[in-house]
Amino acid sequence: MVLTLVGSPISTCTKRVVAVFLEKQVPFKFVPIDFTKGEHKAPAFMEKQPFGQVPYLDDDGYIIYESRAICRYIAEKYADQGTPLFPTDLKAKGLFEQAASIEQSNFDVYASKAAYEAVFKPNLGLVTDKSVVDSLIKQLEQKLDVYEQILSKQKYLAGDELTLADLFHLPYGALLPAVGSNAIQERPNVARWFNSLTERPSWKAVKDGIVVTA
Amino acid sequence: MVLKLYAAPQSTASLRVAQVLHEKNVPFEFIPIDLRAKEQKQAQHTEKNPFGQVPYIDDDGFVLYESRAIGRYIALKYAGQGTAGLIPDQSDIKALALFEQAASSEFANFEVHAAKIAYEKLFKVRLGFPTNEEVVKGAIDQLNVKLDVYEGILGKQAYLAGSELTLADLYHIPFGTRLYRAGLGDLIDSRPNVAKWFNSLLARPSWVTIKDGITSTA
Repeated sequence: MVLTLVGSPISTCTKRVVAVFLEKQVPFKFVPIDFTKGEHKAPAFMEKQPFGQVPYLDDDGYIIYESRAICRYIAEKYADQGTPLFPTDLKAKGLFEQAASIEQSNFDVYASKAAYEAVFKPNLGLVTDKSVVDSLIKQLEQKLDVYEQILSKQKYLAGDELTLADLFHLPYGALLPAVGSNAIQERPNVARWFNSLTERPSWKAVKDGIVVTA
Repeated sequence: MVLKLYAAPQSTASLRVAQVLHEKNVPFEFIPIDLRAKEQKQAQHTEKNPFGQVPYIDDDGFVLYESRAIGRYIALKYAGQGTAGLIPDQSDIKALALFEQAASSEFANFEVHAAKIAYEKLFKVRLGFPTNEEVVKGAIDQLNVKLDVYEGILGKQAYLAGSELTLADLYHIPFGTRLYRAGLGDLIDSRPNVAKWFNSLLARPSWVTIKDGITSTA
């Protein structure tokens, strides 16, 4: 049975997963959820994803949610095809986990909240608090200054090879201009790194919305 | 050469790593970093952890930072000793993915909110800054929603990734205990399954040994 991804065509976390499906050349069926109808809070949905969030994966009855966990599962299951996204050596794995943790605690924490405040709230008819956005961007910029240093010595966040940790940055990194921040492009090494990610066919295929391949 | 842990005795992230070292019976030398003196922002430290944070380890020249990454590295390197299964084996990718789901949830659904509470009600107060009660209330509201989901999950299984303890459970302890220090222990205590799970984690010798501060074991 083909893998089924239940998500939203415009959701950042859904795009994170689909980009990895494409990198690993894995066909999947996409079942779109309509946020405006509250489909993600319906009992049938919450039976599979108890936090009422998108996306989740159904692999022939085996359910996984949390986009980064789904990505890791796909990268592990299809390790032998498509782009290698996980190191196998112990120390390289440690450095990969370091990079994955950096993405969560030093990037996503600020970028996703800024995106919510500046981009998603207006879509929901709510008012943006600009002081919150400014504070988040300021903190993000301090972290990106460290990225600038790290990426001056190596090509990607975990070393010289691309890993999932780099790809995890795509959805919210790509939204920063819409938030009103040019922080990535203002830093030469960060820009070089991020632009190499957005130029990948897998990202180009999803950046404007999800298309089904199975 | 014995593993070196550069950390602060009571920092949540430092405690996270120290607990895993104890669970896996890995001897370590604890080198305290003085956060009040901002030692973590000095060049000698930022050369190893460019984000100027604690902890980091030096494992015979191999330097690693980010507490959750260090915990994972220790669990993988010493898979054959101490508490088993803290990360499910790679040969069972479904169990591994359920662990990743729980680990992702720990950060995105728990820490994000619990850390805000700890920052506003403990850290800022210690430094003489006023608490932003609106931020605290928002975080409490979110945690209530998330912990209701935890209550449901833990009604069906003993631990967050399934029937076995994993790092995903342990990683909740540092900020979980800070909720109690902030006077909000009821968030956990009012939910029977969550309380039972959390108390079982606190009772582990690895936590009891370090909860009042980290010390060297080598």
